[in-house]
Amino acid sequence: MISAVILQIIGLSLFVFGFFPVKPALSGVSGPESFYSDDGGDSDSVANHTQTSLPPHLLKSLYQELSGIHPSFDRLILMVIDGLPAEFVLGKDGLPPREDFREAMPYTQALLSNGMAIGYHAKAAPPTVTMPRLKAMVSGAIGGFLDVAFNFNTQAMLDDNLLGQFFRIGWKMVMLGDETWLKVKDTVQVDQNVSRHLESELNRDDWNLLILHYLGLDHVGHIGGRNSILMTPKLKEMDEVVKMIHLSTIQTRDNDQGKTLLVVVSDHGMTENGNHGGSSYEETDSLALFVGLKSDHSDYAASPRNSIYQVDIAPTLALLFDVPIPKNNVGVVISEAFDLLTDDKQLRVLELNSWQLLRLIQAQLPGLSCRNLPSHNGFTDGLASTIVECSGSMEKMLCCLYMNAVNLHSSWKSKVTIQKPVGLLAFGIVTMAVSSLTLLGLMICMSTEDQPGENQRLCNSITGMHKWSVNEIFLLGVMLILVMSMASSSMVEEEQYIWHFVLSTSYVLFLRKAVQPLASGSAKSLFKLMKGQAERHDIRISSIILLLISGRILRGWHQGGVNWTYLPDISKWLEQAGVNHVRSIQLSSGLLVISLSMCALYLFGSRRKITRLFGLCFLICGLLVLWHLYHNNAFVSTSYDAAIQTQIIYAILGIATIGSFVALPWFIPLWFPGTCSELNLKSTSVTLLLQQPINSMPILLLLVQIFSSMLYFSCSGLQHIEVEVALLYYMGMAGHFALGNSNTLATIDVAGAFIGLSSHSMFLSGILMFIITYASPMLFLLSMLMYISVKCTSYLANHQNVDLGHLAKMILGFPLSGSSGLEFNSTDFLHHCLGVNEEPFVCLECLLSKVLVCLCRNCLRLHRGLCRGCH
Amino acid sequence: MADQSKKEEEKENPSISISVPQAFLVHLISGLGLAISLWVAHNLYSINLVSHSSITLRLIWIVESATVILIYSRFRIDPQQCSYLKAVVRGILALPVGALVNALGAIALGAPVGIQYLPKTINWSLLMSSFTVAPAASVFGLSWTYWQRIFAQTKPNGPLEYMICIPAHGAVIGGWFGAWPMPLDWERPWQEWPVCVTYGAMTGYLVGMIVSSGFVLANGRRQRLKED
Repeated sequence: MISAVILQIIGLSLFVFGFFPVKPALSGVSGPESFYSDDGGDSDSVANHTQTSLPPHLLKSLYQELSGIHPSFDRLILMVIDGLPAEFVLGKDGLPPREDFREAMPYTQALLSNGMAIGYHAKAAPPTVTMPRLKAMVSGAIGGFLDVAFNFNTQAMLDDNLLGQFFRIGWKMVMLGDETWLKVKDTVQVDQNVSRHLESELNRDDWNLLILHYLGLDHVGHIGGRNSILMTPKLKEMDEVVKMIHLSTIQTRDNDQGKTLLVVVSDHGMTENGNHGGSSYEETDSLALFVGLKSDHSDYAASPRNSIYQVDIAPTLALLFDVPIPKNNVGVVISEAFDLLTDDKQLRVLELNSWQLLRLIQAQLPGLSCRNLPSHNGFTDGLASTIVECSGSMEKMLCCLYMNAVNLHSSWKSKVTIQKPVGLLAFGIVTMAVSSLTLLGLMICMSTEDQPGENQRLCNSITGMHKWSVNEIFLLGVMLILVMSMASSSMVEEEQYIWHFVLSTSYVLFLRKAVQPLASGSAKSLFKLMKGQAERHDIRISSIILLLISGRILRGWHQGGVNWTYLPDISKWLEQAGVNHVRSIQLSSGLLVISLSMCALYLFGSRRKITRLFGLCFLICGLLVLWHLYHNNAFVSTSYDAAIQTQIIYAILGIATIGSFVALPWFIPLWFPGTCSELNLKSTSVTLLLQQPINSMPILLLLVQIFSSMLYFSCSGLQHIEVEVALLYYMGMAGHFALGNSNTLATIDVAGAFIGLSSHSMFLSGILMFIITYASPMLFLLSMLMYISVKCTSYLANHQNVDLGHLAKMILGFPLSGSSGLEFNSTDFLHHCLGVNEEPFVCLECLLSKVLVCLCRNCLRLHRGLCRGCH
Repeated sequence: MADQSKKEEEKENPSISISVPQAFLVHLISGLGLAISLWVAHNLYSINLVSHSSITLRLIWIVESATVILIYSRFRIDPQQCSYLKAVVRGILALPVGALVNALGAIALGAPVGIQYLPKTINWSLLMSSFTVAPAASVFGLSWTYWQRIFAQTKPNGPLEYMICIPAHGAVIGGWFGAWPMPLDWERPWQEWPVCVTYGAMTGYLVGMIVSSGFVLANGRRQRLKED
């Protein structure tokens, strides 16, 4: 059985590696050979030889001589503003930006309108997270999707890139930036750290390249979204920096210290609520602003081509400063940047770019020779409109032809970069399917093994012989509905609607069922006769109504999804109401969570001393969490003390959990339910600690849902255990979306993943991120374990013939069911990435996702099989 | 007092006499009411559910509830204690109560809550109430046994109960299915709340009436066979 699980994991990983495009990359760096046309393999080795032997200044002059473009600039200042959407500076659809943003950046706007600067909407490729985007800017290559994982872990960049090229020609580089991802909630300090050294650096002349990385704007976005009150001051600050740099560059130029080019870029944009990662226009709309290039277009908004790709920055900069274009570059030069040069130099620029691209094409499509470009077979059909008739003088014609080639190239780029190894994918899927089938088979074997003998009668007494009612059939039919709904991409995007709808429908059906037996005769006499029964009905009905109400509030808490995120919801409303309201709600819901779980613990656990000990332990943890929440509000946390506090909380929780696991079996024979409930409550408190303050109320509601559903199940008497498991699982999924998650990467809460970590660790923050994102399904899985174990043990206690084998099997089942839950989550993560990758070729992915979802359902069915095996 | 009346009800034959042609006629008239209100909305006022959903819904529910209450009150279950007028009045009184239940149900299932949706929700729930609760209230009054048998247990007994139960369930189930296109990104105006739900409910109601006519027919045949 374990081997089957391992097999499944292997299949999954195969699928992952196959699914995410791994593009063929050229290794090595481009040297002087990039200035020759490509005649054959021989020149390569020679060139490499000469390149390595030359000292930097000679190499520089060699490059200058070879390229024939004499650089108009001597120094480069690259100012990276993290997360600044181009819309803030350049406006959208030909309209100027919003009034308050324009007023916040007076100097930049003046530069643009005077024609001192050219601004572009640089379209970034997904995933729009910082590290891959920075890589794209300096190397011109589009990274694979797996780079997301490395976003949080800066590693040495091995591919050919601009910085390496600059280094090779002996440039001195100064990098001012704050690498602290840890202080994500800090919006002021990070940028002051950068600006502090800026002035002194500007006055010195011992550098050729100055890189500034301003993270503050991204942090502002993560905290308050696009319209945060902190946004305008931040833009003002950025504008001040631009002003300072520009004035100093003018000064250095006047002093004949060489001309300086200032390039202001942002790595990605942000959505309305400040997240990024996906491929919507708001997220990919990043800025590229060249200050110092004279532009003819005084009216920037009406300039003919003010939208470029982010990868175009790398070749442009490379050629502006006469270094070879990085090998893996797929960008094309921005021709306006070379407007000052003479026509033949411009042509030379284009030629160099084309040679480099040709080499890349030849590496990726080995059979291609220069003569038969794929432009003749089918490729051109859709592009006929974009290709302009070329006429006029020789040079104009060449330019025009080049532009056509650029158009072709961009269409080729979108097709080539995503070729998937279908074989690997298929193999991965087959492996997963086989493993889940074997697991299923094993489960069936187990249950049939269990069937004969005395057990069957017991089984019947619990589950069998009970007629299936409408709500139960509905709950199982939901599975089919879900699989079918995956056929449409918008249903995948807006998955939360389905979960909430289905869940509340099932609540209504349960309510109907609870009303059914009420007073099936003349009411009052019957009530008097069976008072106990009536009380049970009351409990059932009230718990269902509680479920309905809390479910509705949860649904309204976050709008979620992809298409309608702008619609109003409770969380937006609360955030508008102010920080104090949010905090008071957070604290009160924390208090309520603690008191509720204490109540539950005492009602639930028998009055043993050991449960009291547990209660005390939990109480301490909960109060610590509350204290922590009270002392740290959203804006001034992340002090060192706060990290220590959280670490203490983690430690106490961890020790208590391990202690209970180790100690309990010695004290009580039926220890499992206690441990499970303990685990459940602890995970609640951890979630409460980790989630955003706005989410603390939904967590309380989730806890209420868990308890009321347990109450309902325990009162409702005979039920199929599958139905209960399915309902809890659906509740978990609905809660997942109610906590503000969606099927895009953009909603993953990165800031929370660094709570309580004093140093950067990819592993630990990954675990925390997982806990935050999958808080709700995990809570419900744990509560499911708790519930089932309680049911099993009470059942075993009732029937004196306690079968130890059963107990063993049951306990064996738990890690398994946990693993299947985990597996579900990982497939769900894949799904997330799917949502990001919306491109025209989505149909294949849809198919695959369907397969995946079927597999998930398989897991769920397995889970059920397990539960049945439990009895 | 209440107990006495209930006992008397139980003594009576629950399947109050309604002949097969009468049943067909009732369904035909209520279906015609729906059709006429839609026709009036389209042709006389030139409005429809998509453009003026609130006003159109109001027109439909006024016509439909009037038709249904007036016609079903003729078949009230306790003609001895209850005059025709009284049945009409209790149908009218039940209309807002049923609307409240329907609105709560819709909101629980995810209908948007907001001041701009309020008139739409109110009008929609009044329409749903005239499909589901109003005829039942006109016929059964306050007798809990019937309500429970029809709406909680779905065990209709006799042609009259078929005629109330099946179209009502049809309307609810149709509305439920009508909600499915709402999250799709087709960007059509009819995907708004409550347009497609209303279409679904009306379709379900019509289908329910056809099915219930079939049941009434089958029931009549069986009765005749028994008598033979």
